[in-house]
Amino acid sequence: MNPSPFGFFGRYLEVDLSAGRAQARPLDPALVADYVGGRGLATRLFCDEADPSADPLGPENVIVIAVSPLVGTNAPTSARGHMVFHSPLTGVIGTSNSGGGWGFTFKATGYDALVIKGRAPEPVWLDLTPGETKICPAGALWGKDIPALTEELTAGCETGDRPRVLGIGPAGENLVRFADVANDRNRVYGRGGPGAVWGSKNLKAIRVRGKEKIRIHDPERYKSGYDQALHLMRQAPVTKRLLRELGTAGLVELINVIGMLPHRNFQDCAHRDEDLERISGETIARTILERAAGCYLCPIGCQRHTRISRDGLADESGEGPEYETVVLMGPSCGIYDLEAITTANYRCNELGLDTISFGGTVACAMELAEAGLLPADRTDGLDLRFGNAGVLEKLAVATAHRRGIGDLLAEGSRRLAEKCGRPDLSMSVKGMEIPAYDPRASFTQALGYMTSPSGACHLRGGYAVSLAFFGGAKEIPRFSLLQSPIAIRNMQNTGILQDSLGVCRFTGYAFGADPWSRMLSGVTGMDFSIARLEEAENRIAALERLFNLAAGATAADDALPPRFADTPIVIAGEPRAVTRDYQKRMREDYYQVRGWDAEGRPTAELSSLLRLAPPAWRKP
Amino acid sequence: MNGCCGKKMTVRVRFFAPYRALFGGKERLLDLDTGTTAAGLLDILGDSPERREALFENPAVGAPGLLKPHLVVMINGAELSSRGGPAAELRDGDTVVLLPLMGGG
Repeated sequence: MNPSPFGFFGRYLEVDLSAGRAQARPLDPALVADYVGGRGLATRLFCDEADPSADPLGPENVIVIAVSPLVGTNAPTSARGHMVFHSPLTGVIGTSNSGGGWGFTFKATGYDALVIKGRAPEPVWLDLTPGETKICPAGALWGKDIPALTEELTAGCETGDRPRVLGIGPAGENLVRFADVANDRNRVYGRGGPGAVWGSKNLKAIRVRGKEKIRIHDPERYKSGYDQALHLMRQAPVTKRLLRELGTAGLVELINVIGMLPHRNFQDCAHRDEDLERISGETIARTILERAAGCYLCPIGCQRHTRISRDGLADESGEGPEYETVVLMGPSCGIYDLEAITTANYRCNELGLDTISFGGTVACAMELAEAGLLPADRTDGLDLRFGNAGVLEKLAVATAHRRGIGDLLAEGSRRLAEKCGRPDLSMSVKGMEIPAYDPRASFTQALGYMTSPSGACHLRGGYAVSLAFFGGAKEIPRFSLLQSPIAIRNMQNTGILQDSLGVCRFTGYAFGADPWSRMLSGVTGMDFSIARLEEAENRIAALERLFNLAAGATAADDALPPRFADTPIVIAGEPRAVTRDYQKRMREDYYQVRGWDAEGRPTAELSSLLRLAPPAWRKP
Repeated sequence: MNGCCGKKMTVRVRFFAPYRALFGGKERLLDLDTGTTAAGLLDILGDSPERREALFENPAVGAPGLLKPHLVVMINGAELSSRGGPAAELRDGDTVVLLPLMGGG
């Protein structure tokens, strides 16, 4: 038997749930050279199998999970996996990344990627070990929440040989369009509804266990990049201590200072300081935080393990809340009650709901209710006025189980608002709810939401918040129409690289591509110069775009909800809106920067330059 | 730093995240000479080696006042650069904010 390549195993596992069959397939090393791993590799394997015209909740949908050549090393934060699927929330590509240890242990089963097709006739779970894949009945697991599922599938295992579990909760089983998939109990592939796709395939969980190791081609070269990365992470205040001390919710007050913190379904960004202090990262650290923690191999430690005590009830502990959760379940719903937000966060974690889309959908429902479009007889008697913290936990449970009003919310804000006759009240792009940064406060972020391949996601669309902070200090003013397209293209590409390497966004606060280039080249022995990596980033972006176009998306979908064009907010004394004209100008320039045509289509010339083979989409 | 005619103005300085512990509170009201610049204000705030270290690339007194790359300074909600950078003259009633570059989400 030939030795495996360096950094990867040269094989992926294909599971056909309809046929009840699992098969190892060779992975062409050229795919690693061109798509790296993680997001890039998963996107390529997905596009080679996908039918963009098919129903995302039908058996034709394909789920691909991939890891990178760095997964299996000790590179900081490098245990992450990436999942690609056709999103039932948006109708475009679903592309989601997660920390936790599952990606690392999956790699140790001896595969670089996992392709899941078809639909099992009955609920199943997969048990993956090196050389063996069992498709097991999951009837007894169906209905369990994520902690119970994890407990059941890891019970009795020795600590040193502990398997890791990736799975869905009731929300995924019930096809909630923003259901997530979780590992390590609370690290999630959150956005775009991957949990619903798993549920539609009757797939409850994937347990992995293994000790297969990759070979490293040039340990010295790898170590030079590793040492540099670690040194820089210890220098930068964000990675050195701020995220550990304050968690991501340390941003609450800071984002408010720059006028970007949404309020009442993005109606404005006006808050009282004393209200925000009740939900700030400092307050979390002072009141409910038990300990900070990091994902596997992460020295940053932004996770919040918290405990809530409520009168007359047993104490509860869990993970969170993080910044997005705090704001979208909090001020965006007019709520400043840390206990209510945290408790609802726990329910979302357990039941498998993406907290961003859940919060965005609840805020939309509250605005519809206040407008008289969601009368009490459709809300199970719940008073959905903004500020009513008491409804959050109830709505999370109802949504995950699709009970009563929860059945409406489970469809996401776009379908909810359309059903109530006010589609303009869904604060979403391509049907994905907008994260907790108001696009009127940074045109760069606005363009990121507009052009993100997966809908309004700050992680796929580009995270422009650091630009908002730095402003002109880095010569990229946040309100520059001219500079936003190239700035957001660069930030999106950085994200593509990090997702394809299987590393955390937060490393970007300490360093850019150089240490990664050295580590990746050292591990694989392949040429991953920064220029080669940039070429791969552009190739992956073009491929994602090709899927979206084939799925029916057009340039008209690269737009913000009308509120952000029509209703200005005041920042530093200036009214700011992202007018339709501004959106058009930035969109056109962005397409040009990407090398796409005026309709946002990657040209044949670009594909040729990037050596991007256009996918031959699978026909129904 | 000495303003004309010894006239004074009041500037509010707000601190966030690590700067709260460093400066011992959430905010200060400072009476400054008219004409004090943002750089002058930061020089006044840097009244101990630890504070200078947190604000300036070169903490030595009298060294060029290049700010730490992770320090963000805003005046009345706008980035320092939009007011002309550290040389920006402060005005009576201004609110200056010190916060760290931070990300999350």
